[in-house]
Amino acid sequence: MEKVNELIRKAVSRRTFLAGAGTAAATLLAGCSSTSSGGGGGTTPPPGITDNDILNFALNLEYLEAEFYLYAATGKGLSSADAGTGAGTTTVPGSIAAVPWGTSGFAQYANEIAQDEVNHVRFIQKAITSNGGTPVARPNIDLTFFAPLAVAAGITTTPTFNPFLSPQAFLIGAFVFEDVGVTAYHGAAGLLTNATILGAAAGILGVEAYHAAAIRTLLVGTAAQANDQTYVKIANQVSALRGTLGGGNETTLTTGSIVAADTTNAIAFSRTTDQVLHIVYGAAGGAGLTKGGFFPNGLNGKITATAS
Amino acid sequence: MATQETKQLDEIISSRRAMMLMGGTALASIMLSGKAQAATLTDNDVLNFALNLEYLEAQFYNLAAFGVTIDKLTTPIPVAVNGGTAGNVTLKPAFTKVPFSNPLISAYAAETAVEEGKHVTFLQSALGSSAVSMPKLDLYNSFNTLANAAGIGPAFDPFASDAFFLIGAYIFEDVGVTAYHGAAGAIQSKATLGAAAGILAVEAYHAGLIRTAINALDAGSGTLAGLTQKISATRSKLANPSGTPVDDIGLTTVNVSLNASSGSFAATTFVDADANSIAFSRTPAQILSIVTGGATNNQGVFFPAGLNGTIK
Repeated sequence: MEKVNELIRKAVSRRTFLAGAGTAAATLLAGCSSTSSGGGGGTTPPPGITDNDILNFALNLEYLEAEFYLYAATGKGLSSADAGTGAGTTTVPGSIAAVPWGTSGFAQYANEIAQDEVNHVRFIQKAITSNGGTPVARPNIDLTFFAPLAVAAGITTTPTFNPFLSPQAFLIGAFVFEDVGVTAYHGAAGLLTNATILGAAAGILGVEAYHAAAIRTLLVGTAAQANDQTYVKIANQVSALRGTLGGGNETTLTTGSIVAADTTNAIAFSRTTDQVLHIVYGAAGGAGLTKGGFFPNGLNGKITATAS
Repeated sequence: MATQETKQLDEIISSRRAMMLMGGTALASIMLSGKAQAATLTDNDVLNFALNLEYLEAQFYNLAAFGVTIDKLTTPIPVAVNGGTAGNVTLKPAFTKVPFSNPLISAYAAETAVEEGKHVTFLQSALGSSAVSMPKLDLYNSFNTLANAAGIGPAFDPFASDAFFLIGAYIFEDVGVTAYHGAAGAIQSKATLGAAAGILAVEAYHAGLIRTAINALDAGSGTLAGLTQKISATRSKLANPSGTPVDDIGLTTVNVSLNASSGSFAATTFVDADANSIAFSRTPAQILSIVTGGATNNQGVFFPAGLNGTIK
């Protein structure tokens, strides 16, 4: 009964929100209140933010994901052609090489995801060009940030975590990104105006969720097989940190709870660009954050600074 | 093998290009070319279409995990709403839930059952007085018919074992992703769109989970992967009777080039997506064809008396 009441309350508040759409958007812009999870997409972009600006925001995230998976799969990053003219550099742990996959069987997952993320980079670059814009080049990316991130999450006491050193550590590195990608595209869906671009974004959202599910399933499956929950626990520490930085929007990973979604309605979480920036910059702390974490010089494009 | 894959990819790439060239007009006309002849689809029409599919998924998973239909759960989910009458669910004689032997797969089934139930409840709530009741569903003859069509054999019981349950689930999840993806462009309200995008993501989580679980259980034997390829091929054919484009990829191993100009990195296709790594999208007419087995009156297979609502 409690749940039904909650649903009705939510439905009513949704109607209220719809009725006052303009006002609500204005409030978001002025106060930058955090959005509720679940519904998502009910926001309006800040003035002057175009579909291409949002695509460029997504492109930065795809550069980050592509670099991570390519280094994991091959020991090398994006080709200079894919990184774009004037691309920044990617900092990687010393003696970087492909993850020593051993008998884990994860290499074929990593290769699939890596190719998907490269395809996303290429597709979004082309989509921006087709839409009359200019795709940003890869910004400076720091893939050694996993180490301090692990300290912040309470996983290690010294900054030593390196996701390229073992198949299990790779799963944690992948876990850091995928659910964030889902929430970012979900949040962006409501900001896009062009129906074709929206359709593509929804399709990329779907693929990020396929990835996220595979990583989460491998984490719990491997843990069950080895009767060792160490890496599931670590993943949940990452999740908790993302929740702190990114406005909640997380569920604890367990064998019986693989999907990351709002438990009231089984709808995936949604994040604002601000919440996503706080996660990838690796810092809380309100407005004016422009760089840090995985992006030591910030993102390229128009959406680079937190407004809340 | 590589040749076949290359050919398939070429087909997908060319179909994708063709679709982009045709743009919105073509999509709109495809959408209206099916049985859904309404001049303009409202958001409620689209949500009711989704509700029919969620009834189907929720019943399948709840029966598999808990052995009962959703209206018989401890916390029942209504199937007859707004004064309507619900259809019944056809099941095999002496039906029992799946005799799971793998606790992980049992847990996946339970989680998915609960989540699909929540989607039913959410859509009923969002639709309010416009929500349709559950239509007549068939979870017995349907699977046998599809198995026959896919060349799997004369009979297929998804409630028989862990592996068969996963294959049964496989039949639904990617379809859910393509249905929500195809519907996204038809939704007017930003709030409804946000919710639909969020359900799309959860269906993709389920699909990714199921594919990963099948791949693990298959353990390289190719038996289960082979079944997924037959199902994907059948879905693609039902959605595209001419045979092109191919809009479905089963579990297999392909070679990808990654950051090299050409390369041979083996990848498992646990993502059902096009050559741009964008999830496939299907129109309501294509979805209807899949879930009713291509019946000309859109009544058959899982929905023997058709769907309820405007899109049917």
